[in-house]
Amino acid sequence: MSLSKEKMVAMFKTMNRIRLFETKLQEFFAAGRIPGFVHLYIGEEAVATGACASLTDTDSITSTHRGHGHLIAKGGNLKLMMAEIFGKSSGYCKGKGGSMHIADFDLGILGANGIVGGGGPLAVGAGLAAKYRKTKDVTVCFFGDGASNQGTTQEALNLASAWKLPVVFVNENNGYGISCPQCKSMAVTDIADRAAAYDMPGVVVDGNDVLAVYEAVNEAVKRARKGEGPSLIECKTYRWRGHFEGDACTYRCDEELKEWIAKDPIPRFEEKLVENGVLKADGVARIKAELAAELDEAIAFAEKSPLPEPSALLDDVYA
Amino acid sequence: MTTAAILANPASGKDIRRLVAHGSVFDNQEKVRMVRRLLLGLARTGVERVIYMPDAYGIVPRALNSIEVPLLVEAIEMPVANSQEDTIRAAEIAETLGAGVLVVLGGDGTSRAAAKGTREVPIMALSTGTNNVFPVMIETTVAGLAAGLVAANRLPREATCRRACLLEILMNDEPADIALVDAAVYTDLFVASRAVWDMDKVPRLFMTRAAPEAIGLSAIGGQLTSILPGEPRGLALTLAAHNGGTPVTAAIAPGMFATVHVQDMETMLPGRVFAVEESPCLIAVDGEREVIVRRGQRAGVRLSTDGPLVVDIRATMARARDARLFTGPANGKNNHEKRRGS
Repeated sequence: MSLSKEKMVAMFKTMNRIRLFETKLQEFFAAGRIPGFVHLYIGEEAVATGACASLTDTDSITSTHRGHGHLIAKGGNLKLMMAEIFGKSSGYCKGKGGSMHIADFDLGILGANGIVGGGGPLAVGAGLAAKYRKTKDVTVCFFGDGASNQGTTQEALNLASAWKLPVVFVNENNGYGISCPQCKSMAVTDIADRAAAYDMPGVVVDGNDVLAVYEAVNEAVKRARKGEGPSLIECKTYRWRGHFEGDACTYRCDEELKEWIAKDPIPRFEEKLVENGVLKADGVARIKAELAAELDEAIAFAEKSPLPEPSALLDDVYA
Repeated sequence: MTTAAILANPASGKDIRRLVAHGSVFDNQEKVRMVRRLLLGLARTGVERVIYMPDAYGIVPRALNSIEVPLLVEAIEMPVANSQEDTIRAAEIAETLGAGVLVVLGGDGTSRAAAKGTREVPIMALSTGTNNVFPVMIETTVAGLAAGLVAANRLPREATCRRACLLEILMNDEPADIALVDAAVYTDLFVASRAVWDMDKVPRLFMTRAAPEAIGLSAIGGQLTSILPGEPRGLALTLAAHNGGTPVTAAIAPGMFATVHVQDMETMLPGRVFAVEESPCLIAVDGEREVIVRRGQRAGVRLSTDGPLVVDIRATMARARDARLFTGPANGKNNHEKRRGS
């Protein structure tokens, strides 16, 4: 595995940045300080971080309703994200889209997506554009286990393979589609098994091990850049919070949650970095303090930004 | 009660070697079909009970969906961790429950896990993994027959099973892990996706067997010499970082070739410890980065002749033929047919 120390530290920062951002949103939602729903990514940080670590700004991602982690890992601006979630005019969508519509085309973030399974066709479109333009850019399509049962996702897998497009399908299998456990909605346990039907490589990785995710996605990205077509990587992971904030989670037990909290991807990575001399304990503390300050700035920016003017209600309406 | 155990690994055949090499995606439904045919074979031999490792997919219960077999089929009572610990634990429990044979569906890694659980119950390893040196590719209908004959003790043990060798991985002189086929020193610090494909990071390679037709890391040794399974010797190779030594090209993964430079080749005799000079490093066992050697730890590799008992399917079936177990009017029917006819 050819990862520099700097790169590993950057990945560690990204994971913590996501965790801090989401934990703060959890507090804000409980306090009634943000409008609309949020679907938090706590527990799944290794997937977005490991997957985006192989991408450049000209590569693209398509995201999901649980998209904050993907956006942060792809370099999304925390101030603009926080302002958007606060519904402020300085946000990514001028405060009118909220959590599930954040996009930043300059960074290749083709958008979070409120439609389950909505990202697959977009990723195929981006992949087709890259192939047509001969740019060598790659698109990572994040999708959940629920989305993997949508026709759109299967159509996207099929077309990406048929046209040999540079798309890496990264499945985040957290075991539940909203409140429905995978065993009640799916005839298979490994979504990667479905890759065989589309003549593409299918791989299962530990989605709570950021280096395992990185290695697999890195290889898939290399394949895609060489014109060898798409891949499907299934990351087994778990969301600590409910489907949305406020979800009572009556469909799962505390023991299951505790088992997964014990597999928290962040301390796992931290231990490896400290053990191998990549980071020292005081370095970890310094990083966390810097990230907290960075987040405070984003919150302050969002808080002091104005709400959209009523006169702007019909701006940017296309249909 | 004559008992056979089935340990079918739902995770085998799905690792990163489908990306870095050209390994097949081995879906679990295919394992279901294999187990179905295995059960039909077992039912022909006098086996009365089958115990199996539970898994999230339900490989064995699904296999029973479309067949009727005169077997008591029971899940081993154990927690499912969805890791190799399941295979180790299931093998241990199967021994205590009196299993006469352990049929393992997986690759080299799964076979190794089973051998960590028991050395006394004969193991029949059937290939569903990636680099398969230890398990065999054979139609499971016939494998079921052979496994059943072993479980039911219908043939002399010495005619059906042989003791395999293994590699003991020593940490500060104490056994810490095992490998059934090969152990590779890997100069990386992170286990990550486990598989080994970057041979520039492998300075030392140890193996219990070597065959020119093999796949995987032991295929490198197989291009230099032959060591039969169970033969009480192994092979230790020192690989040069770059050029130098004897260049050897071998298939180290499906569809993937590597050329390494063999600087030194030594025969491993049982009991002799080969020190691992690198520290820190990883030791990959049977193709998977597994053992972490921390700075200052002293690691070594030693050949042992005390490996698992392995069912020789070909020898078992040949002996069954010689004993006319499936020949003549009294032997063509199984219990199931008798029951239906009564």
